[in-house]
Amino acid sequence: MRDVGIIFRREFRAYFYSPIAYVFTVIFVVLNSGLYMFHFFFFGNADMRAFFSSLPLTLGLIFIPAVSMRLWSEEHKLGTVELLLTLPMKIEHIVVGKFLASFLFYLVALAGTLAIPILLIILGKPDFGPIIGGYFGAILLGAFFLAVGIFISGFFSDQIVSLIITSISCGFLALIGWQYVPMVIDGWIPGLGEFLYQYVGVTRHFNDIERGVVDFKSIIYFLSFTALFLYLNAKSLERRKY
Amino acid sequence: MIELEKVCKNYGLTKALIDVSFKIEKGQIVGFVGPNGAGKTTAMKIITTYTAPTSGTVNVGGYDVLENPLEVRKLVGYLPETVPLYSDMLVTEYLQFIGEARHLNGKFKQRYDWVVQAAGLEPVLHRKIGVLSKGFKQRTCLAQALIHDPDVLILDEPTSGLDPLQIIGIRNLVKELAHEKTIILSTHILPEVATISDRILVINDGRIVADGSFDDLRKQVTRRSSVYLAVKSTKKDFESALKSVSDLEDIEYDNNRKRGEIGAHLFFKSSADPVSKLNDLIREQNWNILEFHPEKLSLEDSFIRLTQSTGSNNEQAEETSEEGGAE
Repeated sequence: MRDVGIIFRREFRAYFYSPIAYVFTVIFVVLNSGLYMFHFFFFGNADMRAFFSSLPLTLGLIFIPAVSMRLWSEEHKLGTVELLLTLPMKIEHIVVGKFLASFLFYLVALAGTLAIPILLIILGKPDFGPIIGGYFGAILLGAFFLAVGIFISGFFSDQIVSLIITSISCGFLALIGWQYVPMVIDGWIPGLGEFLYQYVGVTRHFNDIERGVVDFKSIIYFLSFTALFLYLNAKSLERRKY
Repeated sequence: MIELEKVCKNYGLTKALIDVSFKIEKGQIVGFVGPNGAGKTTAMKIITTYTAPTSGTVNVGGYDVLENPLEVRKLVGYLPETVPLYSDMLVTEYLQFIGEARHLNGKFKQRYDWVVQAAGLEPVLHRKIGVLSKGFKQRTCLAQALIHDPDVLILDEPTSGLDPLQIIGIRNLVKELAHEKTIILSTHILPEVATISDRILVINDGRIVADGSFDDLRKQVTRRSSVYLAVKSTKKDFESALKSVSDLEDIEYDNNRKRGEIGAHLFFKSSADPVSKLNDLIREQNWNILEFHPEKLSLEDSFIRLTQSTGSNNEQAEETSEEGGAE
């Protein structure tokens, strides 16, 4: 457990060594709030439905890949992976440490959007159930996407390649839960779209939680996929030895 | 302390190590010598548990690298060839991180002070690693390998890219550590390890081709002696005349001679006075001498010949075995 902490501290600090972290945090907050504000002024509803409905795509396509891309790609590029993997630490602890650092960074960025609910409280009487549910869902969703991102970054020494492939993968996971996309896939291969929508797609599970329906199945879905990708990440790095 | 038994390592179809076995006792300094791509780095990566051998067993300090990698890693300090450093960190932050990761706790302060002094890092402690010169980067990485006072020290090309003064510095540091630690260092420059190692392992094409002290190796390579001879004659006559000379191992013709002249480097098996033998031959043949002088092979030359000749032998062996397989 101590090893997790040591890796976590170095990784979290590393986010702030370069300006990229600040730039992406600002983009994330501005983009999401901006998209939401349009909706807010147009309909004048004191809720955050619009904010949360666009979240799977903005997170999956842009923000998460940018946060996760450096986790292993940078180590491969600098050669420091050789240093890390010859330290007397278990690979699983290193993976978890890195994951938690990126997760905390994501939480900091997500906290930046708390301005919206504060605004809603000042201007109206929002229903807190969906907002709290939404944030809870966003936390789970972010963890899942980050786990996918760290897994993918383990394979590439170029951060941009990691970014693009993570973006495609998370984008796919988000779109597959988007009702229209599975319908199209069902048109090609009957049953496949429905299967992907039910069991693989992220959006459906996210929407469940966001609606305030805290379904145990959806929580299990997010947690188990997060754990699975972290496990795969550790195994894939160990596999590189052979 | 370190024992490799029949270790093979394949990267896809490339064979990086073929049946490598050796044993290094506690306190020995061993130099890995070989041309680039010979398998030195691969052998080191296996000993440090970074890569796994395809077959064979590797034992470091009583622990198997596959079964007990964490225990092996505790014993080993490793300076990889790539000099892995986090370029955004300060030198002191980097060493602190390694100290924590190595679980030094209370011992850290004392080890940190020692390592900073030994590697000469005081002037750059609060600088970003990314802006350091190659020499300081190398030393920062060396400090990383030493900070936990490891029993085994694996240094992959520790002096590459350094200036002569820095090379001497690193050499002295290694010598200083020699008494208490088992050290393996690799290089492709033989004289560099000659002065500090107890033992030299020459690796070529994934095999150990020579193993012994520097003096042993020197005897092995300088047993061959070479003479340059240029006369007025035809190649045919020259060749047939040389057949009568005993101990002649190899002839390398000089293509830069004019027509009607022939010149060649003649390599002899033993140092049994080739000059007087050739003298007799020249008198017999009544040749007109254009040039005639013994040649001293530099250590590097003879080393290259040693690795090349074993390399070609291996190729021949492989060819014959392939033919055997086809039948």
